[in-house]
Amino acid sequence: MILPIGPIHPALKEPVRLKLKTQGERVISAEIDYGYVHRGIERVMQGKTWQKGIFLAERVCGICSYVHTQTFAETFEKIAGEKVPLRAQYLRSLTNELDRIQSHFIANSTYFKALEHETLFMYMLHLREPVMDAIELLTGNRVNMGWNVVGGVRMDAEEKHLNSIYQIITNLENEYDKYVEMFDEGPLVSLRSRDVGKMSKKDAIKGRAVGPIGRASGLKHDVREDHHTYQDEFDWKVIWRKEGDNYARTMNRFDEIRESIKIIKQIVENIPPGDVRTKIDIPAGYTDWRNEAPRGEVSYFVETNGNLIKNISIRTPSIMNIDVCGKYMLQDVATVADAVATYASVDPCVACTERVVILNEKGEKKEFDGLHNVKYLK
Amino acid sequence: MSSLIWYLYEFARKSWAESFAVARTNPEIVETPDRFRDFPEVFPEHCISCGACTAACPAPNAIRLVRSEDTAEEEGKAYPVINHRGCIRCGFCAEVCPTVPKTITCGENHLIREEFTILPTDRMFVIDDYLCIRCKKCLKACPVPGAIYEEDNKIIIDQSLCIGCEECLNNCPVKGAVKGIFISHIQEQKEIINLVVNTLEESIERKRDDITHLSDEEVYKFDLSITELVERARSILANDELILDTFQKITDRLKLRIVTWDEDKCKKCRLCVDECPSGAITYDEKENVIKRDTKKCLRCSTCYQTCPFGVAGYFVSRFLLDPTSLEDGVIHITVKASQLPIGAD
Repeated sequence: MILPIGPIHPALKEPVRLKLKTQGERVISAEIDYGYVHRGIERVMQGKTWQKGIFLAERVCGICSYVHTQTFAETFEKIAGEKVPLRAQYLRSLTNELDRIQSHFIANSTYFKALEHETLFMYMLHLREPVMDAIELLTGNRVNMGWNVVGGVRMDAEEKHLNSIYQIITNLENEYDKYVEMFDEGPLVSLRSRDVGKMSKKDAIKGRAVGPIGRASGLKHDVREDHHTYQDEFDWKVIWRKEGDNYARTMNRFDEIRESIKIIKQIVENIPPGDVRTKIDIPAGYTDWRNEAPRGEVSYFVETNGNLIKNISIRTPSIMNIDVCGKYMLQDVATVADAVATYASVDPCVACTERVVILNEKGEKKEFDGLHNVKYLK
Repeated sequence: MSSLIWYLYEFARKSWAESFAVARTNPEIVETPDRFRDFPEVFPEHCISCGACTAACPAPNAIRLVRSEDTAEEEGKAYPVINHRGCIRCGFCAEVCPTVPKTITCGENHLIREEFTILPTDRMFVIDDYLCIRCKKCLKACPVPGAIYEEDNKIIIDQSLCIGCEECLNNCPVKGAVKGIFISHIQEQKEIINLVVNTLEESIERKRDDITHLSDEEVYKFDLSITELVERARSILANDELILDTFQKITDRLKLRIVTWDEDKCKKCRLCVDECPSGAITYDEKENVIKRDTKKCLRCSTCYQTCPFGVAGYFVSRFLLDPTSLEDGVIHITVKASQLPIGAD
């Protein structure tokens, strides 16, 4: 029997249809239908100036909106062959890590909601709130910050702002260990999480899983390793696990939050003085750039004539992660409720996945299998 | 029924009526952080109605310029109005606003330094009076009132009001009458222009033997591939749009004048030496030779008109870029003899 869930359903965050093939209560396999929130944002950006494009890039994704502006700006800085001042790089990393913390908290809270463990769900949101306050304190807005520009960041951070961010982060670090313990050692959550929705390392490579989902299955890869600021300035390590089940994915996020706190402390202690913005002349060119979003790798391909955006292609991590969820994780799951929890553990973001629908020659919808299908990049 | 009676009893109590009368919402406890970027604030008294904010806004219909009604005493004031449903609070309008003090402020954005308050366009639009046919289509298409106006039967663009929307360029029926001049990379543009002119001159110089024997009615045509020219232009400035634009402007407007010099016909009368305005033609007494310095020559045709023996030949060449793309484009060159009178005076 095929059990459809969605596109509008209380278990799902956003409109997407899960088709579960079931035998009794047991889920045999699953299929995922995309295409309910297609917005054509790449097409909207074409022909606009890059000064306007950065505000549209921010609206690709709802939760991890920040990293899109950073990647957009860094793509154009790569075309110009320039780097922003060191203080601006530090401030960008600071906002990026704060954004990663809040995104991981909301991802885990959704997972606990899917497990029906509402206490931890509320606790996670309670922990997320001061981080959002820190973002608001620094940039002026909570989600769509308008904080990055090509050439640096909008405003300088003052000493008092950095100090209160340090205070918030220290409080968070002292507090959140006991909540992680509740999850780590609780018998109920552990029964619902361990050995559920397993994905092997081989499958993760085959399905091109990225971010915490790939790292929970043993792929030791983080795009921040290749980023010049993280490479040169900060002391941190890549978090990864071997199990590949729901427990590993959730714990991977918890450990990454700890690593982010470590980076933020280094930033506040060592931030250099200087400019936060430079004027950059953009020549005509074509290039790509990758960054680590909270959910994984986000890459931008941009062609510009120096003033206008001629072509832009955005690849967000969720498209691969939702895909591997349907293909490999939902093979042989004990109950339908576990299948929903597995889907939630992937931290799916349909909004940033569905910017584009790929069709075959006959005009039918086609499965996404690599960027070579995208017409503009041929 | 009993619950209804209970409700009536509750409402009839004096304490309920008292509490109902003084009921009030709790005071607002949410504090606005000091960096909070609210909707932009508009100060209409500073506005110069340049339209920079409307041109810069990434959200459709979020901001527009309106004008209050004109009265008998004075003209109405123009000022931006922000639609709170469309505004995404990015603060870009406040950033590009050129007025001091700012017409629009948005959070702390008005603290941004002066050099970033620029319009995101790098072209200046001017009207070539020589080519303009006064159809006034640009004047009708222009969205800014007063930016294009007519004075003494001439169409003029007011640069202080122009917002760089390209409407005049798109609506002009005459090629080249409205020019979008790139205001950035001026030095590089000069180098590209010199490069193209020199290359064209060299290519004509190589065909010298054919050109010298042209009769008055004959027209000599040949093509020049621009592939190598584009490569060299790109090494100066990697901006294809600007290179194509410069090439087109040069080939549309450039008329190259060529002077050929046939020494065999010369009778050493030295009439041309005195007439030459730039001193390019000199007489060498030792070798008894008339010399012409091509670098000093202005191509003014005075020598051609003066010489009674037809030593100097005067030709005019025209150019056409075809097709209008940088890849596999060619320039058609046409050379023909001049129709100027010979042997004046």
